[in-house]
Amino acid sequence: MISVMALSGAMITLTGCNDFLDQEVLGNNTDENFYDTKYKLQSALNATYDVLQTDAFQSADWRFGEATADNVIGTDEGLASDQGQLVHFRFTTSNRWIKERWEINYKGIHRANQVIANIDRCRLSTNDYAAYREIREILGQAKFLRALYYFNLVKTFGGVPIRPEVEEVSKLVVPRSSLADTYAYIEKDLREAIIMLPNRYTSAQSGKASAGAAAALLMKVLMYQARPGDGSEKWQQLAEIGEYFVKGKSMQMKDMLCYPERYKDTDWESIRKRLWFKPQELNVGTDPYETPETECPVLLNAYSLRYLSAYNAPITYDQQFYLDGEFCQGSIFEIVFKESGDGTTDDVNEGSNIYSRLFSRDSDIFADDQIINNIYGSDIRRSFTIGHHQFTPDMENTDIGAGRILSLKWYTPIKDRPVYTDDNGKNRRILRYADVVLMYAEALNEIGKGAEALEQLNSNKSVVNQINNSSTLYIGGGYGYLRDQIWKEREIEFAFEWDRFFDIVRQGRAKQVLTTFANLHSNKRGLYFREGVNEVFPIPQTEVDLSNGVVTQNPGY
Amino acid sequence: MLTACDDEKATQPTSAISIEKNMLEVNESMTIHFVGNADNVVVYPGDSGHDYELRNESNTGLVVNKNLLTYSYTTPGTYKVVCVATNHADEGKSILSDTCSVYIKVIDDCTEIEKISVTALYDEVFAEKLNEMDWLVALPRKIKYKTSTPSVSLSQKVKFYIPSTSTKVYIDGADYNANSKYNLAQTHAVKLVSNEGTSQDYSLYTLNYGEFKTFKAAGVTGKITRTEYDYSYYEINMEVPSGTDLTRLAPDFTLYASNEKVYIDNVEQTSGNVVDFTNPVKYRFVVTSTDNPEISVESTCKVTISCK
Repeated sequence: MISVMALSGAMITLTGCNDFLDQEVLGNNTDENFYDTKYKLQSALNATYDVLQTDAFQSADWRFGEATADNVIGTDEGLASDQGQLVHFRFTTSNRWIKERWEINYKGIHRANQVIANIDRCRLSTNDYAAYREIREILGQAKFLRALYYFNLVKTFGGVPIRPEVEEVSKLVVPRSSLADTYAYIEKDLREAIIMLPNRYTSAQSGKASAGAAAALLMKVLMYQARPGDGSEKWQQLAEIGEYFVKGKSMQMKDMLCYPERYKDTDWESIRKRLWFKPQELNVGTDPYETPETECPVLLNAYSLRYLSAYNAPITYDQQFYLDGEFCQGSIFEIVFKESGDGTTDDVNEGSNIYSRLFSRDSDIFADDQIINNIYGSDIRRSFTIGHHQFTPDMENTDIGAGRILSLKWYTPIKDRPVYTDDNGKNRRILRYADVVLMYAEALNEIGKGAEALEQLNSNKSVVNQINNSSTLYIGGGYGYLRDQIWKEREIEFAFEWDRFFDIVRQGRAKQVLTTFANLHSNKRGLYFREGVNEVFPIPQTEVDLSNGVVTQNPGY
Repeated sequence: MLTACDDEKATQPTSAISIEKNMLEVNESMTIHFVGNADNVVVYPGDSGHDYELRNESNTGLVVNKNLLTYSYTTPGTYKVVCVATNHADEGKSILSDTCSVYIKVIDDCTEIEKISVTALYDEVFAEKLNEMDWLVALPRKIKYKTSTPSVSLSQKVKFYIPSTSTKVYIDGADYNANSKYNLAQTHAVKLVSNEGTSQDYSLYTLNYGEFKTFKAAGVTGKITRTEYDYSYYEINMEVPSGTDLTRLAPDFTLYASNEKVYIDNVEQTSGNVVDFTNPVKYRFVVTSTDNPEISVESTCKVTISCK
């Protein structure tokens, strides 16, 4: 009897215990139930933008886009460090910075995929057209960001693994997609984002990626797929988007998406629903219905080459890069940095690379007289660089070391300085309207429209001329001459914006440019650049190892 | 137990590697698979900075992870790849290692030309690749530059874009010099010899775009207008005395060379042919190489004649 009672007592205890463990914890967010409102989707989107602000993202950009190229000298160019090996093209496949660039961009992709994969979990509380538009804009921005991260990867590594939107533990190893497939994936995201987003966000919404940002990035993506003089149809497509953006030629949604050719068997209504256009059957009253013939957002005059602030007040050339010029008329997409509001001083997640690291006495990269002469010649834009013990626009005596020259694009005026040292007081410009115009000019020259190319090229130069009342313009000429002039203008206009290396690579002259640079410097940096190999970097060794070789290495590594 | 621990000895590792091929091209990736048995594996690929024989003079090996290493060579030659396999125990007091080696031959037999260009005053003009052997440079006789039209000399520097730096270029049997000017009036024999000794012959033809040397109609001389963007297109805009019958004009023209022919549609024109100039007329020039009749270049001149 005693034993029976003891047994039943034990059973009761066990049952009680089981019930307790089986209780569902209420109120916890899981990836199953999280994304059900627009606010939660918005916070997931914010997390996708957040990757852009990380030090790792900035660091990867200047290390690869600037430090490896011919516009700067690095403080760390010794062959003993990962950075030194990287810029000398004498790295191994285990180089730390190569791995970091890969990882930070995939981190962004993963977060964008969270938004995109879960967007349909969202439940709306109203049937308003505006409610659908809000979700659509969240999805459109996530697509833009995913494209931006993949583009960073594809221009650095070639074709990369396309991660599934919903990751499964059993399928974590994904082989690399071909270069063409990776580009097609990026293009699709951007073309869809253009039709989903408004032409430009202003006032309180400034900073969100707009249709303008997606179109500008699409132009760049098209340009990177073509090669100078190859007669590729990508140049033609680039010129068409340019005509839409710069000249205001109307463009229908079906032309933007290449519908129906690129959408086998998918009908228009399914595309609309997937992209969160309000379903046709729910439309009431004056709700607009987007057809394949609906016009894409108008980009003409949404941005300008002139130096005007967000409120159309005149600003100087260098102010385009300061707080005064945030979201200015020439800025299409920027990484938004904000001072930490919580009083902590050790938050290193806010762009300290830009603020305190590059514009300082021990800057990682700097220029010298020879470089500045080579870039600018007599162009007025050279006056927006600054040497040791010269005075900044707000009369600060710089202390950056004798012989060194830094760009004012990296400078933060005293009044914009953050309270905390690891913060950053201004945004970083990623896409500018001048880039759109110069990409359009290059495409026009490639498709044999030299006269129109010159017009676009000079449209940027004539705005620059207003700085010093100059009348120097570029001169008409044959294909090669115009191309060289467009490249020169790109070099001057975008100098020190961390994109130089990728620009000379896609122009197919990295070897030539870097050899010239190497022969002017005692450490011969750039001489080891191998044509046909170093245009892309190796896949990080850990990726090859962890996938047991499924992720294949680039040729030559 | 403690005694046993002190006596611990490393087990003997075995070093063995497999490589798919032992002959590679420059910059071609090779995958080294480690197929032996060891805790730590290092490979010395044998090129500059990674030579096993010089391991005491700061040459280094590359660590092998997951039995897999990819590598490529930048310069042609024969390299000794050495694989060092090591096991250790007893906090590194007992170390045993084993090595093995393989010879890899790296060849460079590139004789390919990517692009050829010549300078026409300030412009870089690219040659057209006609087939596996023949390249053609088409040059204008004159270029419009701002308000002037300077002549383009046929004596120009030639630039070759070749993927391999060790490939040698010969023009008409002599070493190519990037800084010398070549007389492009004649066809040049270009020979590329690779580091491996293989060679390939090319021909570089140069033709001037055809154009009128002089053009006269109804006693009036026409003047060529050029565009700076397209060297193969010209215009002549002229006015003839009022009352001239535009439907029956017989322009007198001269050409620069005997290998130039001029057509309206597909009808060959000679000086003095009667042409209807009611609407602008497009003359098409075909200039054929005197060295190779299959090589030619076309250009167009649009002639517009109106009455005063």
